[in-house]
Amino acid sequence: MRKSRWIGVGLTVSALVLSGCSAGPAGTNVAQDTKAPLELWTRTTPGGAGEQATKRLAEAFEKATGFKVQVTAIFDDFETKLAQRAAQRDLPDIVMNDVTQVGTLKSQGLVREVEPGKIKHASELTEQALKSNQTPDGKLYGLPYSAQASALLIRKDWREKLGKAVPQSWAELADLAKAFTTGDPDGNGKNDTAGLTATLSTKRGYASWYFSNFLWAAGGDFITETGGGKYKPSMSTPESVAAVQYFRDLGCKDNVIQPGSVTMPTPATNETFEAGKAGMYVVGPYLLPRFDKSLGKDKYEVVPMPAGAKNSDVLAEGLSIYMMAGSPNQAGQDAFGDFAISTEGQKIGMEGESAFIVQLPVNKNVDITQVRSDPRWKTYAEIYAKSGHYAPSIPNWTPVRQDTADTVSALVADCKLDTKAELSKLDTKLTATLQQQGISAS
Amino acid sequence: MTVDHAKPAAVGADRPAVKRTPAPKVRRRSDRDGKWWTPWLFLAPALILFVYFKFIPMITAVTMSFQDVQPYLGNQWVGGENYSTVLGDEAFHSAIWHTVVIAVGQTVGSMVIGLALALLMEGQSKRLKFLRSAAFLPVVVPIAVVAELWRIMYHPTEDGMLNSILGMVGLGPSGFINDPDTSMISVIITGIWRGAPYDMMIFLAGLAGIDRGLYEAATVDGASRWRKILHVTLPGLRSVFSILFVLAAIRGLRVFTEVFLLTNGGPNGSTEVAMTLIYKLGLEQNRLGVGAAGAVLLFLATLVLTLFVQVLRRRRDA
Repeated sequence: MRKSRWIGVGLTVSALVLSGCSAGPAGTNVAQDTKAPLELWTRTTPGGAGEQATKRLAEAFEKATGFKVQVTAIFDDFETKLAQRAAQRDLPDIVMNDVTQVGTLKSQGLVREVEPGKIKHASELTEQALKSNQTPDGKLYGLPYSAQASALLIRKDWREKLGKAVPQSWAELADLAKAFTTGDPDGNGKNDTAGLTATLSTKRGYASWYFSNFLWAAGGDFITETGGGKYKPSMSTPESVAAVQYFRDLGCKDNVIQPGSVTMPTPATNETFEAGKAGMYVVGPYLLPRFDKSLGKDKYEVVPMPAGAKNSDVLAEGLSIYMMAGSPNQAGQDAFGDFAISTEGQKIGMEGESAFIVQLPVNKNVDITQVRSDPRWKTYAEIYAKSGHYAPSIPNWTPVRQDTADTVSALVADCKLDTKAELSKLDTKLTATLQQQGISAS
Repeated sequence: MTVDHAKPAAVGADRPAVKRTPAPKVRRRSDRDGKWWTPWLFLAPALILFVYFKFIPMITAVTMSFQDVQPYLGNQWVGGENYSTVLGDEAFHSAIWHTVVIAVGQTVGSMVIGLALALLMEGQSKRLKFLRSAAFLPVVVPIAVVAELWRIMYHPTEDGMLNSILGMVGLGPSGFINDPDTSMISVIITGIWRGAPYDMMIFLAGLAGIDRGLYEAATVDGASRWRKILHVTLPGLRSVFSILFVLAAIRGLRVFTEVFLLTNGGPNGSTEVAMTLIYKLGLEQNRLGVGAAGAVLLFLATLVLTLFVQVLRRRRDA
């Protein structure tokens, strides 16, 4: 009897705690307080240059508006930690993270809609950047503050030593990669260089990220919109198959992708390039400061990816400011977003040789050539404007990226697999994913 | 609270006994046993921590496994849908199979190598003490460091560390974690490397408990070294085996970190285990309900396994 009474007390306490955690409807009606400090999370290495730049932006914002901001930098498992905070119903006020998160955050109810009327500078955003934050219904769930696209980094000294030209087609790209692999471009007498470095780990879906630079240019696609916000999988279309086949041959037939790529996330891949183990890397501009320092600015060149069968589309990405749900200071959220996309905010974000958080400006009135004299930035800006291709904003892009990453990684890891069969299997998986999200065309 | 306050409860619990015995006797008994809430007071810190950090989250996970979890939109009750999603998922089936393979591989490997190490390092010598500490090192190295070490050792080209050794005997180069054919065994070897010294320590403790006289008697009877191990050492370690088996099996079923850091389930899903899949579903894809369902199933599997071993043990002991 005594025992049961104590169990009863324990259960009551547990029940109270549980109901305390889950009481109340959606966290939209929180008492507002414009004095409440804004907790800001940004996905960058703690203690690194990105954190400093974010703090600089936050300070300028505090000075200009009087709101208070607390910057927290998190890199590892960012989405996981955010999910944990969501489960506790205590989200940070502002999150600065990849634009592809918009669908997930919106469908989970973790972000509130951005009202363009409350953001003065919203009209100055470029069409491309603005669109990347819109959900299919045309509503805005996040403000873009930085954009980027992929370009091809080539070891210039190696290329010149072997007497090769900058590749203009995919065939020439493969050819140069072969030369880098077999021609001993670093002259150490050992056969220890690769043609291309690639991030093909399935972690965070990296393989899919990397492969999109090849897929879209070949005319393929992960999923295709059929109208009315419905999608069908398209990884087994002839165009996609051709893209996969080309990429796979680089790894399986020509052996020009760096060994171990299929288990390498980005840090290991970056090291491969800067350690002189690989001659080419398709990547965004954020690594230039790092490679300038570790490799030397004169050692490598930045050129657009050669065109594929259809065009020269490459992966465009962006970073967005998300105004998280349940914030007690919505006015502060709006003000921060507005400040970050203004001419002034963008320029602060681009300041410095290495510590910047804005890659390419999203504000029409900011000219990159005036802020950064380095012509490589102009190259990136032109690639973004001409060939930048964003992933579509569906309710949850993560499973699509994971499924495609699994298959792409597998096809390079296991050369015995049948390309077409694996891609058909992938399409079946994608159909299930689309159905689960309620956007399947079939 | 005084003793008098506590008395009604005591009376309620043990009424017939109280009726027959005089009052002073009751007081004396409770003096000897201490107040009824004393043990609870000692247990309280641990209990409170367990309730808040273990049991409430566990109950929440069970609730979540029946819901479509959307903290800011309101959770929807979906019944067994999450379970049917998980159970119908081919990826989950192969993840379970891989988990079993890793659990068995690591458990058996660690125990065999741990026992071998323990037999080699049994004794009192000072040098052995140093060797034992050295052998134990892998257990105290953080798993993230272990994974990074092995990633370097597993470098898939000819100049990789393990591959250069394989090259000396005319084999390889092997892809190790980068090849779906060898990724599983590579992950298992990493686990054994880390788990064997732990098992060794427990075996050493077990060996110390075996009666020396049995060895002497066996020697007198003319038993060979192998016979002594077979008929004296192994039976003497029976209880150690069963403890290690339960511990290792649970550790094996929950394997996550080394797989996550070495391969993240790849290549081609060849090392995807239950925990990495649950992590992907729940935390990366934000489908917390489905992830929770997977976690509950894994919990049940662990529970069943543990109970099974206990029953088996009891029956053998009886």
